[in-house]
Amino acid sequence: MIGVGKIKQYSNVLDKPLSKGKQEVSLSAFAFLFSELVQYNQTQVDNIAELERRLEDAGYAVGARVLELLCHREKGNRRETRLLGILSFVHSTVWKVLFGKVADSLEKGTEHEDEYMISEKELLVNRFISIPKDMGTFNCGAFVAGIVRGVLDSAGFPAVVTAHFVPVEGQQRPRTTILIKFAEEVGALSLTRYSSTQRML
Amino acid sequence: MPPAGPRSGDAIFASVERVNAELFTLTYGATVRQLLTDLEEVEEVNKQLDQMGYNIGIRLIDEFLAKSNVSRCVDFKETAEVIAKVGFKMFLGIAATVTNWDADGTCCSIILDDNPLVDFVELPDTCQGLYYCNILSGVIRGALEMCLGRDIAPYLKIVTDTQYLAFTKVSMKTEVTWLRDVLRGDDAYELQVKLLKQVPEEYPYKDDE
Amino acid sequence: MQFFGGSEISPSPPAPTVSGNNAHMVYVFNRNGVCLLYREWNRPLHTLNAQQDHKLMFGLLFSLKSLTAKMDPTSAERGNLGVPQLPGQGCSFHSFRTNTYKLSFMETPSGIKIILVTHPRTGDLRDSLKYIYNLYVDYVMKNPLYTPGSPIRSDLFITTLDQYVRSIA
Repeated sequence: MIGVGKIKQYSNVLDKPLSKGKQEVSLSAFAFLFSELVQYNQTQVDNIAELERRLEDAGYAVGARVLELLCHREKGNRRETRLLGILSFVHSTVWKVLFGKVADSLEKGTEHEDEYMISEKELLVNRFISIPKDMGTFNCGAFVAGIVRGVLDSAGFPAVVTAHFVPVEGQQRPRTTILIKFAEEVGALSLTRYSSTQRML
Repeated sequence: MPPAGPRSGDAIFASVERVNAELFTLTYGATVRQLLTDLEEVEEVNKQLDQMGYNIGIRLIDEFLAKSNVSRCVDFKETAEVIAKVGFKMFLGIAATVTNWDADGTCCSIILDDNPLVDFVELPDTCQGLYYCNILSGVIRGALEMCLGRDIAPYLKIVTDTQYLAFTKVSMKTEVTWLRDVLRGDDAYELQVKLLKQVPEEYPYKDDE
Repeated sequence: MQFFGGSEISPSPPAPTVSGNNAHMVYVFNRNGVCLLYREWNRPLHTLNAQQDHKLMFGLLFSLKSLTAKMDPTSAERGNLGVPQLPGQGCSFHSFRTNTYKLSFMETPSGIKIILVTHPRTGDLRDSLKYIYNLYVDYVMKNPLYTPGSPIRSDLFITTLDQYVRSIA
């Protein structure tokens, strides 16, 4: 990180020492920035699906960068090549870095072989939100779905990732589930190669 | 219960919930990238970033006031100082210095010691006119305007049994510009904040509105 | 309530019960005088339509602010009546009490006004108003789907506010 109280100038961003990821900003700063990202994108779309797609795009860019940073920092440049490995990397490492905690759960879909779900009781981007009725199933978690897709895609595991509210019994607020549906070739690969490790989930 | 004095930026930053700066930095990067794709012209992106900052400023000021215990913002100099010093620290965890006040106290510089928006950023040749951090100038402009805009004055006239309120609103506008930007080859981040003339505007608030 | 009903000289309504809600209503105005939120829990009597009611409340606060500052015996600098004052300038009132209700008021330097009308025997509510301001900051200003200046529709804010107000003694 840049030295305390001083700005060093680097002619090239590559000369700059890579951040150690210890710096923090207030959650509010992020919340306001994110709100404005949503507000801006609302002016660019006609419908909810389009809005979610644009938020997902923004998230994708974040995810791709996060993977690069983390692989460099945490793994000594070694990329995860196993399906379960990358899923648990997203659920624990990526989540911890971005949201300060490991995701509440990672589960395998019960209906389809190649589906996985990461669930969060209170996703950071949904912390302060209230969805008006006329916005239906809109979920700001699309941004986080985009992050997940960005990480997975850049690691060589293309997937369709979506965010959904799931009501929780006895709770006022629904939890958010990030649904990951791997592309067919990835799913087939994972079944043959990793069936023995599935109970890890 | 006398109001407690304003809290320091450090104390507030230590007490609020925080997130990894990288989430913030990368999200900002994704936002700028989206604008570059949507708007194409760098000048338009600068404008949009400033507008987005302004929108953030008029929201964020309430968080600032709620957490900082600042209960009055009467004079421009005092308000600019406290917003810059306490504000940058409590939101971004960075120190800012306010300096170069002019003689009549209507223009100053804010120098940032660090800038979490720009980690991992290098401007490509196609974006040389871009003020990458232009959102910050908008934030300051919006926040100051919310504090310093004169409140509306009611002229109460009793018309039969309903009150008719006619208002005059005086808004206080500032102009915030980048004097130095490390991404453009300068040695620091310096913003100039200039108080523009107060503009009185008629603001009718009629019964049928 | 029936006991004192209709009597203009009623000393005060019944004392608040432990389980009951002592709050009658809450208003949130922005600096432009727009009523962002009005909520009532216990208001048997309505004499005006909602819009007139909000305007009257806003006018009442403005007049009171102006008058109380004008009558301030400790301040040398005093504006003329009706001349706008910035929040925090001069003196500022924070509550008044009648025999039937108490009105607590808070104004922020950004011009947000929060008004809580409660049972007359309610204590000092300045901290409660601050708390409501914090709820507003979290669930309204940080709600990505809220457009500043528009009426507050956030369920999260309203339910949290309802719960909190119920807890005020």
